[in-house]
Amino acid sequence: MDDVASAPAAEHSRAIEFTGDMRDYVRIAATNALLTLFTLFIYRSWAKARSRRYLWSNTRFIDDELQWTGTGKEMFIGFLFVALFLGALGLAINIGLPALAIREGPAIAFLVLIGIYMFGMFLYGLARFRGLRYRLSRTTWRGIRGGSDDGGWRYGVKAIGYYLAAFFVGGLLYPWAQSKLWNERWNKMSFGPERFEANMTSDDTRGAFFLFWFSLVIGSLVLGAIIGVMHPGNPNESSPFLSLIFYAAVGLAYLRFVTAYYQAAAQWTRVGDLEFRFTAEYKDWLKFYATTVGLAIITLGLAMFIYDFRRWRFVIGHLEAYGTVDVDALTQSRTAVPRDAEGFLDALDIGAF
Amino acid sequence: MRKDSWTRWISARSDPVPQKGSLFDGVSARAHEVLVEGIDASLRLHSAGWSDEVPISKLRSLARDAKRLRVGRSDVDGWSLVLDQPVADDLLALLPAEQRYGRWIDRIGLLPALGVLGAVTASVVIIGYTAPQWIAPHVPFSWERRLGSATVGDFGPRRCRGAQGEEALNALVEKVAPGAAKGPDGIRIAALDVPIFNAAALPGGYIVVLKPAITETNPDALAGVIAHEVAHVRRRHVTKALIRELGIGALIRLFAGDVGANAEQLLDLSYSRADEAQADADAMDMLRRANIDPRPTAALFRRLATQSPDFSAEFLQSHPLSSTRARGFAATFDPKAHYIPVLSGAQANALSKICLK
Repeated sequence: MDDVASAPAAEHSRAIEFTGDMRDYVRIAATNALLTLFTLFIYRSWAKARSRRYLWSNTRFIDDELQWTGTGKEMFIGFLFVALFLGALGLAINIGLPALAIREGPAIAFLVLIGIYMFGMFLYGLARFRGLRYRLSRTTWRGIRGGSDDGGWRYGVKAIGYYLAAFFVGGLLYPWAQSKLWNERWNKMSFGPERFEANMTSDDTRGAFFLFWFSLVIGSLVLGAIIGVMHPGNPNESSPFLSLIFYAAVGLAYLRFVTAYYQAAAQWTRVGDLEFRFTAEYKDWLKFYATTVGLAIITLGLAMFIYDFRRWRFVIGHLEAYGTVDVDALTQSRTAVPRDAEGFLDALDIGAF
Repeated sequence: MRKDSWTRWISARSDPVPQKGSLFDGVSARAHEVLVEGIDASLRLHSAGWSDEVPISKLRSLARDAKRLRVGRSDVDGWSLVLDQPVADDLLALLPAEQRYGRWIDRIGLLPALGVLGAVTASVVIIGYTAPQWIAPHVPFSWERRLGSATVGDFGPRRCRGAQGEEALNALVEKVAPGAAKGPDGIRIAALDVPIFNAAALPGGYIVVLKPAITETNPDALAGVIAHEVAHVRRRHVTKALIRELGIGALIRLFAGDVGANAEQLLDLSYSRADEAQADADAMDMLRRANIDPRPTAALFRRLATQSPDFSAEFLQSHPLSSTRARGFAATFDPKAHYIPVLSGAQANALSKICLK
């Protein structure tokens, strides 16, 4: 093989390509669903590992496929550990908070509740960071994996700050917080000896987000006004048709933000000599979600079992990479291998990326 | 058919030809061209001036499709060997089988595994459903009391503290269940100034009666309600609910998320219905033994059944249908019995003012 693998390599038109087949995946998804059901959902971790092994090993980067080396067992243990911790915490809150309200009065209970919400933001941040770290550490390409030596604790604390800042100005700072947190996460990650560098700003996503924000605010006002005129004296009256239009409009506006966000995130993130582009346009996202909704309706929800496949195919299908990789310089990662897998992500039920 | 076996025989007899493969050593991303041979229990890899032997037991299957086959090593991070298909049969026989569902399931096969797992799952659900029933009576009451006093304490600032009213409330408990409020494990009852019609048994033998249940009823009807809650405590229904919540409830919520929570609620509801019916039957017994007229209790449930849903929703959610219960209590009325009011006029008067400061 070549000393230097360059992207896009000559034999393939694209540096990154997904070669999976839906029929193969349906077989995996169906048996996964069956086993998950028959094990009171315990098999979920193994199902995930199986699904990822398929998706990863059918994703070619330059001249070799990715490999998912994570196991169901480690994911299950990670999940169990975190779920028990969160379960105990939840139980303490469920029993303790009403008791606190009775004993110390609602003001103290409210303060404690605020504290719990902030801790929740911290956990959410921690979960995303550690989930990303785990995925990179279990992804190998040509035998080399990624990872991070950072535990994500500081990231979790920063996440509280960014989310609070976004919250206090009516959500308008959300794209800024999102881009900052993206950089915070990725700048702590590496692949082999190469650090990721992320310099995303909200310049590219602000506009689309404001559009979404205005459609949400103006839309709610207009909806409220129309309902007020149609049903004077009864502000609680709802109109399913109008609400549907409202949600559709807000959803379409949000998708514009998603489009801009993915494009900017890929463009401003690099590793070593590699640069990325995400080429999905607004219409591609529209098509993807329209298909998702359509499939869900036609199959009465069964399509959710192939969602991971469709999503991966969509993301990989629109991801491009440019640059060269020096295979001799790309040596094994020295980062620690995390043992909690993505327990936090799993237990808090947060999606990928 | 015959020709096929003939060729296989030939290939088995011929000397094994080393297969070409690409080796990633896990040190750098460079691929090394190697020749691969299976020798006894190990894989021999060699190229010009270099060779290595890897025990078969250290190999694990990473991926396999029509074009390529990839194995890794359990002891070396990132090590992988890629062989182009078709791989010679003798070499293939040495390599670890493709992992599909998981090690254990692969070994016994998918269908037998589903059978075993289905049986285990069914037993877990059945045990989880019935276990609280027989564990609850063996939980030391002192444990439960500690939990109760940690959470409820002295019932907090909302507690109605009219001294004579509290005396009357305790007298009421003593009437329906003589001795129940005495001793270190005795029932602790309190009225709370909360504007909802309800009464509840809490962990550790604590019973709370909310204000409307006192002010909008008469003492005889309240006696029926309290007898019902006392029965919950004595039958360890509260303990049972706690165990169920900690056991199968936690299990379902842990793994199944929202779907499971709904299923669990249904499970919970059917449980409490059976317990409620038993508590009612006990309450009827207690009223009869204490010579308390069951008709006011029946009337209370009749009233709750016809009240606007807002008024009784809270009460109905956790209790059987009020009209059915009303009939049950009414049926125990004995025209020949000499019923006596549960509280004296003075006690009843003090009780009605329990929440006045």
